[in-house]
Amino acid sequence: MKRISGGVLHLVLIVWAALVTLPLLWAVVSSLKTDAEIFASPWSLPDAPQWGNWARAWQEAAIGRYLLNTLIVVGGALVLVMLLGALTAYCLARYDFPGNRLVYYLLVAGMLFPVFLALVPLFFVVDQLGMLGTYHGLILVYAAYALPFTVFFLHAFFRSLPSATAEAAFIDGCSHAGVFFRVMLPMARPGMVSVGIFNFLGLWNQYLLPLVLNPDPDRYVLAQGLAALAVSQGYRSDFSGLFAGLVIAILPVLLAYLLFQRQIRSGLTAGAVR
Amino acid sequence: MRHGKYRFLIGALAPPLLLYGVFVVSPYAQAFSLALTDWDGLSAEAGFVGLSNFADLWGDKLFLAALRNNGFMILVVPTATIALALFFSACLTLGGGTRRRGVRGSGLYRIVYFFPQLLSVAILGVLFQFVYTPGNGLLNGLLGAVGLGGLERAWLADPASALPAVTAVMIWSAVGFYVVLFTAAMESVPVDVVEAAVLDGAGRFTVFRRITLPLVWDSVQVAYVYLGILALDGFALVQIMTVGPGGPDNATEVIGLTLYRSAFTYGEFGYASAMGVTLFFITLTLTALALRATKRERVELA
Amino acid sequence: MAGAAAVLSGCVTAGGDDPAEQATGAVTEDNPLGVPEGADLEVVMFDGGYGQEYTQHAVTLYEERHPDATVTHEGLQKVGEVLQPRFVSGEPPDVVDNTGAGRLDIAALAEAGQLTDLAELLDAPSLDDPAVKVRDLLLPGVVADGTLDGTPYFLNYSYVAWGIWYSRSLFESKGWTVPETWDDMLALCGEIKDAGIAPWTWQGKFPEYMMDPLQSLAAKAGGLDLVYAVDNLEADAWRQDGMLAAADAIHRLVTGGHILEGSEGLSHTEAQNAWCNGEAAFLPCGSWIEGEQQGVTPEGFDMAMAAVPALSGADALPYGAVQGSSSESFLVPAQAANPRGGLEYLRCLFSGEVARGFAESAKAMPVVKGATEGLELSSGLASVAAALEAAGDGVFGYKYRTWYPELAVEVDTATGELLAGRTDPEQWSDRIQAAADAVAADDSVAKYER
Repeated sequence: MKRISGGVLHLVLIVWAALVTLPLLWAVVSSLKTDAEIFASPWSLPDAPQWGNWARAWQEAAIGRYLLNTLIVVGGALVLVMLLGALTAYCLARYDFPGNRLVYYLLVAGMLFPVFLALVPLFFVVDQLGMLGTYHGLILVYAAYALPFTVFFLHAFFRSLPSATAEAAFIDGCSHAGVFFRVMLPMARPGMVSVGIFNFLGLWNQYLLPLVLNPDPDRYVLAQGLAALAVSQGYRSDFSGLFAGLVIAILPVLLAYLLFQRQIRSGLTAGAVR
Repeated sequence: MRHGKYRFLIGALAPPLLLYGVFVVSPYAQAFSLALTDWDGLSAEAGFVGLSNFADLWGDKLFLAALRNNGFMILVVPTATIALALFFSACLTLGGGTRRRGVRGSGLYRIVYFFPQLLSVAILGVLFQFVYTPGNGLLNGLLGAVGLGGLERAWLADPASALPAVTAVMIWSAVGFYVVLFTAAMESVPVDVVEAAVLDGAGRFTVFRRITLPLVWDSVQVAYVYLGILALDGFALVQIMTVGPGGPDNATEVIGLTLYRSAFTYGEFGYASAMGVTLFFITLTLTALALRATKRERVELA
Repeated sequence: MAGAAAVLSGCVTAGGDDPAEQATGAVTEDNPLGVPEGADLEVVMFDGGYGQEYTQHAVTLYEERHPDATVTHEGLQKVGEVLQPRFVSGEPPDVVDNTGAGRLDIAALAEAGQLTDLAELLDAPSLDDPAVKVRDLLLPGVVADGTLDGTPYFLNYSYVAWGIWYSRSLFESKGWTVPETWDDMLALCGEIKDAGIAPWTWQGKFPEYMMDPLQSLAAKAGGLDLVYAVDNLEADAWRQDGMLAAADAIHRLVTGGHILEGSEGLSHTEAQNAWCNGEAAFLPCGSWIEGEQQGVTPEGFDMAMAAVPALSGADALPYGAVQGSSSESFLVPAQAANPRGGLEYLRCLFSGEVARGFAESAKAMPVVKGATEGLELSSGLASVAAALEAAGDGVFGYKYRTWYPELAVEVDTATGELLAGRTDPEQWSDRIQAAADAVAADDSVAKYER
């Protein structure tokens, strides 16, 4: 009885694993086929691997440059939003002051607001500040739009931390900033790692913001570049090149994940499972 | 002792709130005032039209279809994703007998299940457009291979299956993430507690319901909020994948697409803003409900 | 003098922040449009199926004529998303190719005073021959296509014809002839099906593609009166006999089982590739398809376009009539920093030299007269040129799609349902008529007349 249900369990788990990996493997295989082979059958393997597809995506679609742009913008925004978000969440969670609730709800409401409604007014703001199509402009906007979630997440985390250590530090004469940076922030490290990974995945996927605020093709981030590749595909048949671009875009994040998967998953879960 | 509290608060909160005020609050506020105008997005001036944009929304077939479809996603995506993730997590942690932690190869499953979370929506859309393609698409091929050829169809071209097909992509991409969250939460259950329960004659399901589920409930609530936001969007997937896009027969129209089309295709920027404002009030209501649901937790922790 | 007037009108209507920046140079024989020397030029073009070669080519010509100018040239896929904010903030580029799915609404731009009157360019001497005005180099209808309320605001570059595409080699090997009436079409479809090939496939994800043969059939049956009634949002325009008969004709492809299974779920590229692979005999498309399919068309496929068959013997237009229009809309923003340069760039672009290059690199018909003469045309382009020549004055086009995009969305949705077999021609026309009536009754939508 137990053995049978164990077998069924395994089968279910294997089926889902197959469902998850099959489209990805299929994309990799397709990226090495010719267009004609792609249309002949979804199952067939390429006669000879068409590495030219990858070269075309890398050069003509400039995937390499987009990757670098993305790393700069996402990296900068990540550092900024983690610092500002932790400070905000900490203040709101651990201090009582007039307007505390108001600020908190204002921030949390921003998390749920549809971003593209604000796009045109936002463009003016960024334009008037002279930050259109600049790295720092994108970084600031990314950070501003990632702030609500960061605060929402860390707020709960800071509330759950015990007060005793902080009290002791205050008695030892530590300043408010000192308590935050030396006591509370290290204690919040699991939460920081967790929300940091959330934010990375979110910023990595940003699409609407760069589309309007980042018009210079030399500064395109990966999502923009991929969209360009996908749309070009719509106008000029190049399915194999499109698949190659997809695979190149997937690979770095996938490899980073495979290398650090244990740390990433424990980081993600440390925040949620206290 | 706690002198300088307000100096610290001002120093700490001013930069983030300035950033938030300039780049988030002010554009949204401007969008609110735009919703009361007939601005076409191009002319320097906009005429004030009061609430007529909002009145027009309730006669707009596309907008109503979008509300319906996002409503469907809100109902299905969080529930299905969380149910699947809980099921897989339970299999991974409770399966394989009580002595061992989880079934054989559970580590590998956890690595693999997370893969979809690493794909951006643009990639997802393009990939699944091909998966759903009639004729030689991956899904139809798969069904044919396992003897279910009768189920083959043009998934995105049938109003009955198009929205479920898009919704399935959302679920497909989200499940693994929550499997990772939930398995970790479940593993924080001490082994001896489980063993004691089993000695008392509790079955796997009872262990799950009585011991595991209450302990992951906190994570489930977080998941619900996050997945709710995901289900209110859907713009990128629909835009890339579907017939029309938004079709067939408006079956996959989502609020984001209606808004985007009104603004960028019709140049009805005021009207599009009114849609955004309506969406805002919907989401605000849902947030309030979600916060109320989590309030219980905060009292316990205090 | 004329230059000053254009600059003035630009500043009065546009309300830009600083019109004084729009400098003007001396008008000379070499510089008829008075381009200020040393002024930079920014060209933003839609990077679609025609590629960027021809707009780059015009940049080269411009730079030769104005060596002190720095020209930036950028190709975009979604023109509207990038340029919309720039128009609003009064900092548009000097020339825009406003084309593609994400293009800006030109009528709205014109209404907002954002466009430069191109009359001056049209009356300027052409680059090829100073005795010939730019206006006289263009194919008939091109200036009219770009005219809104009596003012020429944009010029289209590519001439597109719509028809039904087939493989010459396939038809020769099977002994099939392209039908000239719809009855013959249905008969041939039966024959094709017996040969184990699907008679038709179409780009189901974008029902607009199948609407083209449908509305061509309707135009042939009902003539230009039918077309104008539709465009002018007249009562019951979509219930005219010709329109219903055309919908019924297309619907017969569905009821007869003449469409490749699953076509309603195919993207345009997927359907076109299925057709190129010989899975289906006919495919509706515009003349751009040859360039689009360049990389995947099998050797010896020999694609060709035929006019849509006649609906009946009593048609108002002859069999050879084709739906045609110019596309790739080039315009000069009124608030551009260098609008004189923008006009001069268009003078370079609409020259015989660039147009010939366009026909060769983009495999499409340019709007410049005689540009394809003496060129060895590819199979598809040659068939398009022949179809246009056979049509003569019988070239028609609908305007509702550009005038009333809200209506076009509903037309496409209804057509998708018709082709999927979920509605019949009556329901199809009722549904579209309701949408057309709603647009006609909506005061907030600007109305046009033809």
